Amino acid sequence: MSCSQDKKLPFLGPKTVSASGDTVYHQIPNFNFLNQDSVVISEKDVAGKVYVADFFFTTCPTICPKMKTQMLRIYERYKERDDVRLLSHSIDPDFDTPSVLKDYAARLHVTSPKWNLLTGDKAKIYQLGQKSYLVSAQEDPAEAGGFVHSGAFILVDKNRHVRGIYDGTVEAEVNHLLEDMEVLLKEQ
Amino acid sequence: MVNGKCFFIHNLPLTIYHLKLNMKNYIPIAIIAFFFFSCSSKEEILQQQYAVEGMALYKTHCENCHQADGSGLRDLYPSINKSKISPEALTCLMRNGKKGNGFMPANAKLQGLDLAELVTYMRDEWGGNKQIYPIDSVQLALKNCN
Repeated sequence: MSCSQDKKLPFLGPKTVSASGDTVYHQIPNFNFLNQDSVVISEKDVAGKVYVADFFFTTCPTICPKMKTQMLRIYERYKERDDVRLLSHSIDPDFDTPSVLKDYAARLHVTSPKWNLLTGDKAKIYQLGQKSYLVSAQEDPAEAGGFVHSGAFILVDKNRHVRGIYDGTVEAEVNHLLEDMEVLLKEQ
Repeated sequence: MVNGKCFFIHNLPLTIYHLKLNMKNYIPIAIIAFFFFSCSSKEEILQQQYAVEGMALYKTHCENCHQADGSGLRDLYPSINKSKISPEALTCLMRNGKKGNGFMPANAKLQGLDLAELVTYMRDEWGGNKQIYPIDSVQLALKNCN
């Protein structure tokens, strides 16, 4: 436990150097999606908060159930905290309308608005996944369910820097995420 | 994993039978051992084999949603460990899935033996039913699906 206080997490993604010579870390850009309550969720809702992002779709027969089992663990642990958010992006937004997501959340017994199930423009969601969250998310008719996507959970700090990527289908990896979450929550 | 252990014990008569062929000196011991373990009939051994194979198939095709202990995931995926569904209806459900509310994908790749092993495993694990669910019954059930 003693070393966890000193633990530092890396900054993932491409880095650039500004004209003044400072390192500029990869940052999640501004975004704009609807959640399960048809409320617009943007970068403003995660400002100053640590959040976990993932990509899924409600009719996914393969890895999503495992991911949601693990995401529920994170949700249950942090649902009372105001400095933590969960953003699950649908990669089948045409089908996963806010009302479909609302029903899905209700059946998972998710009532807190801290876990946002997001839908919106498909191209924007795919681009955000691939370019910003550094994971794959796209349509693929050959895949069971019609989409290929990574089972990754992306841990993002209070300034929207990606600080960790974990396999959201594996309990042991999610244990690491929970440890790293504590590190980020202590950061200013 | 209890099944794995029983499986080993139930296979002992076979193992001893092979020893008998190789080591004539041990025939009397082998015969005694055979009767000692003969509580497990061929039928029981086969049931154990089905259940073990069924457990592996369950892991691949069912566990993601319904969880290892069959408890499901809240109201999203129903629990199946207390279900009273008939083996025939279960066979049809696994092969054809369910449409509409409570959607479940079909599993067209599951063949007769796979389905027989899955039903055998599930009703053993959660129903305490030690009877094999034979392939004949699977074929008949599939012919009569709604």
